[in-house]
Amino acid sequence: MADYWLNKLFFDLQQPALSSEYKKDRETVLSRYPMSGELRRAVLADDLVALAPHVNAYLLRFYFAILGVKDQEFIRRLNELPGTAKSKEQASNHG
Amino acid sequence: MARLVGVFAASHGPVIARDWDSLSPPTRILVEQGFDKVGQQLMMTRPDVLIIVSPDHWCNFFLNNFPAFCVGIGDEHDGPPEPFLKTRFNHPVLAGHAGLGRHILDTALERDFDPSLSHRLTLDHGFCLPLWRMGIDPVPPIVPIVINEVDPPMPTMRRCLAWGSLLKQAIESYPQDLRVAVLATGGLSHFIGEPGMGQIDERFDRTCIELFENGDPVKIAATLEHDVRHTGNGGHEVRNWVVAHAAAGNQGFELLSYAPLEEIYVGCAFAQWRVAG
Repeated sequence: MADYWLNKLFFDLQQPALSSEYKKDRETVLSRYPMSGELRRAVLADDLVALAPHVNAYLLRFYFAILGVKDQEFIRRLNELPGTAKSKEQASNHG
Repeated sequence: MARLVGVFAASHGPVIARDWDSLSPPTRILVEQGFDKVGQQLMMTRPDVLIIVSPDHWCNFFLNNFPAFCVGIGDEHDGPPEPFLKTRFNHPVLAGHAGLGRHILDTALERDFDPSLSHRLTLDHGFCLPLWRMGIDPVPPIVPIVINEVDPPMPTMRRCLAWGSLLKQAIESYPQDLRVAVLATGGLSHFIGEPGMGQIDERFDRTCIELFENGDPVKIAATLEHDVRHTGNGGHEVRNWVVAHAAAGNQGFELLSYAPLEEIYVGCAFAQWRVAG
C-alpha cells in the first residue's frame, strides 16, 4: 500500500537544497515526515525491497539515483523483489 | 480557422540525455535516426503552434492533486528541471500559446470534458527531450497537455480516444489562421523502478504498432486497456499515442522507426499519422 509520507519525502528530495541537507543529516530531514517506524528504518537502511511496495516506482528510481546508486546496481536490487520472476513472465506472455 | 497539419509520436527517456555521450554507437545511431526522421517530418508541416502530449514525471503534480488531464494555458512555461537536460536543451522558459490553450479548455468544458488547467507548467524531459533531439530551433509556441500515466488510477484508453477527438475539434474550431501540429511523446514499453527494468516487451510494442497502423479505435481501446496492465509501468505512456491517433482522425499511422533499445530502457518508436482533412 502506498505511503503518503514516503512518497512525499522522495518527491521533495528532487529539490537540490533538500537533497544536500538529506545527504548530510538524514535523521533531521526524516523527522519532518511522520511515517511509521518500520518505513523509517527501511529508509535509513536503503532497503529497496521493504520500500518498493509503499512508493511510486518512478520516485523510487529518483531516490536511489539521488543517493548515487548506479542503474546497474539499482536493477540488481529490483530483481531481488519478491515475485520478480513472475512479473517478467507476465510481461512476455500477455496479449 | 486553424488547421491540423500533422500528428506525430516520439519515444522519450531520460537516459538518452543523461548518457548521450557514452551510449554505444549502434544505440546512438538508432535514436538519432528516429528523432531526425520524425523531426524532419514535423518541421515540414511548418507548425505555428505545437501541442505536446506527455506525462508529468512528478515535476508539477503530487499525490495531493493529480489531474487525469491538464492543459497548459499560459503564455510561458518553464523548461526542463533535470540537470542532465538543462545543459543540452538550454531553454529556461518556453513560449506557450495561451489563446489556443484556453480554446482547447473552453471546448472541452462545453462538451462535458473537465480537464485541469495550468497557467505555467514545468516541462520535463517528456516534453523537452524530443525537442532537443529533433533539433527544433526556434521552438514554436507550445500548448502542453499532461496526462496522468505515472500513478494509478489513470484515464481509460476510451477516454484518451475521446480526448484526442476533442482536441481535433478544438483545433479546427479555433478562429485564428494557425498551422497546428500534435506531438505525442513517451512509450512504447519500458519498466521504470520496477522489476524488468532494462527489458523491452517487444510483443507489446508490436501489438501497439499493428493497432495504430490499422486504425480501428474500438480495437485499440479494448486491446490496450488489457495489455497495458500486463507490461511495464512505462507502457502507460501509450495513452499519448492513443490521443494522437484520435486527434488525427483514427486513420492509422506510418511507423517511421522502431527499435527495442535495452540500453536506454525503452521500446523506442517514432511515427506519423495520416491526418483526416
